[in-house]
Amino acid sequence: MALGPIEIEVIRNALTAAAAEMDVTVWRTSRSTIVRELLDYSTAVFDAAGNNVAQSARIPGHLNSMSHFLREILDKYIDPDTWGPDDVVISNDPYCGGQHLPDITAFKPVFVDGRRIAFVGTLCHHIDVGGLAAGSYAAKAIEIFQEGLRIPPVKLIENGKRNEGIWAMIRQNIRKPDLLLGDLTSQIASLDVGAAALHRLAARYGADGMMEASARILDMSEAAMRAAIGAMPDGTYEFTDFLDDDGIDIGKPIRLHVSLKVHGEEITVDLSGCSAQVTGPTNATLASSNSAVMFAIMCASMSGNSGDEAFLANAGCYRPIHTVAPVGSVVNAQFPAPVVHRVAVTHRLLNAMFGALHQVVPERIPAAYYGNSYVTTFQTVAANNSREVLVEIEIGGSGAHPAKDGVNAYASGMHNNSNIPIEMIESQMPLTITRYELLRDSGGAGMRRGGLGLAREWRVDSASCLFTANMDRFVHAPYGLAGGGPASLGKLIHVQGGVEHDLPPKSDNVVLKQGDRVRLETSGGGGFGPPTRRDRALLAQDVALGYISAEDAKAHYA
Amino acid sequence: MSRPVRIAVDIGGTFTDLQILDARTGAVVAWKTPTTPEDPSIGLLTGVKEAALRFGFTLADVGLLLHGTTIATNAVLERKLARGVLLTTAGFEDVLEITRHFRRDVYGLAPDPFPVLVPRDRRLGVAERMRADGSVETALDEAALAGLLARLDATQAEAVAIALLHAYANPAHEVALKAWLARERPGLPVSISSEISPEIREYERSSTTVLNALLVPVVKAYLEKLEARLGEGGFAPLVFLVQSNGGVCSLRTAAEQPARLLLSGPSGGALAAGRIAELLGKPNLVAVDMGGTSYDVSVVQENRVGVVTQGEIDRLPVRLPMVEMRTIGAGGGSIGSVDAGGRLTVGPRSAGARPGPVAYARGGTEPTVTDANLALGRLDPDYFLGGAMKLDMPGTRAAIAAKVGAPLGLSTEAAALGIITVVNANLGAAVRLSLFEKGLDPRDFALLSFGGAGGLHATDVATEMGINEVVFPREPGTLSAYGILFSDLVQDLARSRLLRADAAALPAIGAVVAELRAEADARLAADGVAADAREILVAADMRYHGQAFELLIPWGDVGTPDAAMLAALKQRFHAMHKQRFSYDSPAEAVEIVTLRVTAIGRLPKPEAAEAVPAARPALKGSRRVWEEHAWRDIPVWDREALPPEDIITGPALVEEPFATHYISRGWTATLGAAGALIARRTA
Repeated sequence: MALGPIEIEVIRNALTAAAAEMDVTVWRTSRSTIVRELLDYSTAVFDAAGNNVAQSARIPGHLNSMSHFLREILDKYIDPDTWGPDDVVISNDPYCGGQHLPDITAFKPVFVDGRRIAFVGTLCHHIDVGGLAAGSYAAKAIEIFQEGLRIPPVKLIENGKRNEGIWAMIRQNIRKPDLLLGDLTSQIASLDVGAAALHRLAARYGADGMMEASARILDMSEAAMRAAIGAMPDGTYEFTDFLDDDGIDIGKPIRLHVSLKVHGEEITVDLSGCSAQVTGPTNATLASSNSAVMFAIMCASMSGNSGDEAFLANAGCYRPIHTVAPVGSVVNAQFPAPVVHRVAVTHRLLNAMFGALHQVVPERIPAAYYGNSYVTTFQTVAANNSREVLVEIEIGGSGAHPAKDGVNAYASGMHNNSNIPIEMIESQMPLTITRYELLRDSGGAGMRRGGLGLAREWRVDSASCLFTANMDRFVHAPYGLAGGGPASLGKLIHVQGGVEHDLPPKSDNVVLKQGDRVRLETSGGGGFGPPTRRDRALLAQDVALGYISAEDAKAHYA
Repeated sequence: MSRPVRIAVDIGGTFTDLQILDARTGAVVAWKTPTTPEDPSIGLLTGVKEAALRFGFTLADVGLLLHGTTIATNAVLERKLARGVLLTTAGFEDVLEITRHFRRDVYGLAPDPFPVLVPRDRRLGVAERMRADGSVETALDEAALAGLLARLDATQAEAVAIALLHAYANPAHEVALKAWLARERPGLPVSISSEISPEIREYERSSTTVLNALLVPVVKAYLEKLEARLGEGGFAPLVFLVQSNGGVCSLRTAAEQPARLLLSGPSGGALAAGRIAELLGKPNLVAVDMGGTSYDVSVVQENRVGVVTQGEIDRLPVRLPMVEMRTIGAGGGSIGSVDAGGRLTVGPRSAGARPGPVAYARGGTEPTVTDANLALGRLDPDYFLGGAMKLDMPGTRAAIAAKVGAPLGLSTEAAALGIITVVNANLGAAVRLSLFEKGLDPRDFALLSFGGAGGLHATDVATEMGINEVVFPREPGTLSAYGILFSDLVQDLARSRLLRADAAALPAIGAVVAELRAEADARLAADGVAADAREILVAADMRYHGQAFELLIPWGDVGTPDAAMLAALKQRFHAMHKQRFSYDSPAEAVEIVTLRVTAIGRLPKPEAAEAVPAARPALKGSRRVWEEHAWRDIPVWDREALPPEDIITGPALVEEPFATHYISRGWTATLGAAGALIARRTA
């Protein structure tokens, strides 16, 4: 059956709609707030070989990673000939193609007339998978065994029946079994919804039609990607940025070096200049690093499109992009390195990628965003020993763009989540937020000013409180570009009895007392262009609005 | 019968639509007149005068004017707002600018900030602090306010918003500040969050309060112009305005709480859909409104469109009840184009009203959905808007051939049909998702199609969805006004108070309910609603402890809640949770976050009579239409002349002055109740 461009577009739309229905199913039927409120999950449809054809995702780290995982599983772990239409395979193992243990991914093949025509998949960040620390985010882990339960690719459902041994094994090894197994059940329901949608389509277009459509959809995205890369100037472009440290070897920076080569319609990203893998959990597997590399190039390519509809993101876009990452480096960590804080590596790798891309398409790329997920955890302990837990993820400012200022307090780069309303926190636990404001002078100076970071301050109202933090950019500031200045460094301050002292940005279980305060100051974004070229009226407005102090205006813009 | 005429007016960007019901005959008639953007009340009165002449009533006969307006919406979109100041708890002046973080454009590298309607130098902190339980941590010191007044004066503010932390739990400080400003700066309009949107979540409440404050002077000026026109020629009806919640409110409420008008656009359509569902005895409908740039989908269950507790305008949250709706960027003006990879896309880019489709010959060069319909013969170039506008067929065909046909190697007809096929698939996906996310099956629904462009796509979209029945209401272009004609006064009140839903909390729950009911009753009385026309319904936003979102659970006409009533409410919550999310946890603690009261003032509903078919042949003739791979002559019917006994067999076209409907092959259509044309799938 030869399909015309009309049928292809209709099928493409239907595949995207199928991913959206799968997404709604997870949202509707999952249990934990991490899924419903932070929306930390993704759904996707793949072709018969495991290439991502359509997806529903809001979190860049998920966008380009599920396809890699599925192809690894098909290559190395599950013989496709033994993977039937009623078998669901799950895994969370970073060393089998995943990212970190809290993300459990589930896949199911779709068969029509005895032929496999597609896969459907869902990825969920689960609330706890065991290990050293509640939430499975141990800042001080030095091997993956401390980070939680590793699930190799296994059939959770086989011939339509639950593999009860696996379910029991998971239940026994995690802290919140009802939530996790509830969310896992919703992932399976979502796979069934996706499979049903594909069967509806196949009834109209047949197995051959579906296979042909998938191939052509990937080819179209590849062609669009090649056209975008082909318009970029050939050459090799390098950039280096640093993470402060891994939380174990304090003060030892981790180098992220990118050598990006544009050759014709292809890009090769060589990460050979990155540091060796580290002792602490600030490591990334290839799946994580690839997602940052792909995300950077897709942002740079799409923002060159003049149309309002960016070209379609799928595995076809990845074909002209090649990543070289030495085995055993921080961007291709090997067993048994801990990896739970892989988001830190991908944030900084993304910063480095944008630094290189700035040299390729200078009109499109902003200066560095804050490059960090500011994760704080408060476990309040009342006099009667009852406990409440709060996990917050804060953000900083976006980098200044060649054509406009950075945005104050804007979720940028590899993560994308909401903050939690102050009134909700104070209604539910003995914590008071004592300030939440933009941070003056935190944006990098420039012709375009970097967005401002922010300050948030918590006060402990319970008898005591255990505090954990995991953040970066306290030593290496977000860079400016084209003569723009760097943004501010982060700060974490403990205020006790009126005395302030700094807390390490990677802290586990700091004991706070009633009345103590913790203040977080996040980095802004870097500036773009020489500050002397900033429009004086805009500078005056920045001072009037309190974005810049009079002193800083004099010091950096004169 | 004194003042027997009731008029509904829906003022849109181009036309002011009127629906007129004369209780003496039960006749419902429609009229359209151009909108006068500089002062919409001019067009309104012109329309009423024209209709009076045309349909034989006097201005003095008009007893009730129900007014839908986009004045508040447009003021926000065009930033024609008052210069405002925001007073916040000191240390939290930036909550309005920090927002809730989540970004929509995942790949964008040059993001626009969320709009900030009050800049940082006009956001002033006040030393005070409430706790979540409503107790005072830091008292407001009125003696220390002199400095604040000086700063306020320096901003030259025309309106003030006040949004303090936990004001939903204890409004005392907001109320005191408002009273202080009334003394110190009388005449300066002040909106406080505990009156405008007394709900937990500081950003959403602040955003709503700020929008309200900045709209007060704008809406007040309009209402004064409108009131000045009342009295002319004996025109002195009672006037009510359409709100976002699917009801109307008095002029006084609209002047004080203009944010309630912000998202009122969909209300008329939702009201109409509910009424049609009832008249046709089809309680489950998917209502789709297809205009030039957007496709709005709402779901009618048990004759009602659902209400949600929050909407948004221009990326800003509005925490007030509004009718639930899914909108996608697909309409008659959506542009079809081919990208570098050879992919045909339709929308979301739109030709809008200017330049509009190529067919309008106003400079449009990119082919749109309307152009594709014209090229296939589904639209008559000589009978667009009843013949008021001539369409350019040769130009349209040339544009489709050049922009879509040539790049894809398709004939002009195949390219035009391609645009239609792709847009119908997009529309079908939106309908499917609207039902799917509620756990509903399309086969249990009929499609209600309205809006200027909807009729050309409805049977194809229904076929795509597995829906077997399509309802085309009378005058689909003015359906919104028709819905408004049958509206009631609706006032929503809410109070957030985080409470465990158990017996120990009954006194607190009872106190909030009593307070809300008393206020609701007083408001209805102030709007002149007789006691026997008042209805009060209570509802609660509920969740399991630890959840971060709530479900809206109706509680009925609860007066003083007792343990049994509370148990019933919890039962309903568990059941609703199970229906929406596929599980419940009866053993877990349940919380009430917000209590709500909806006060309804029933307006009398005169009986509407069935329209009489126009005395002319129903079958107008035939037209060449591209259908099933060939040009064929298919019948064209005159909607206004159609008698109940005629059966239309697809493929066929049904025309009326402001809309054309396409009945596909495999469908037949006949006239049903309330003048609605009902198409059924036969093959």
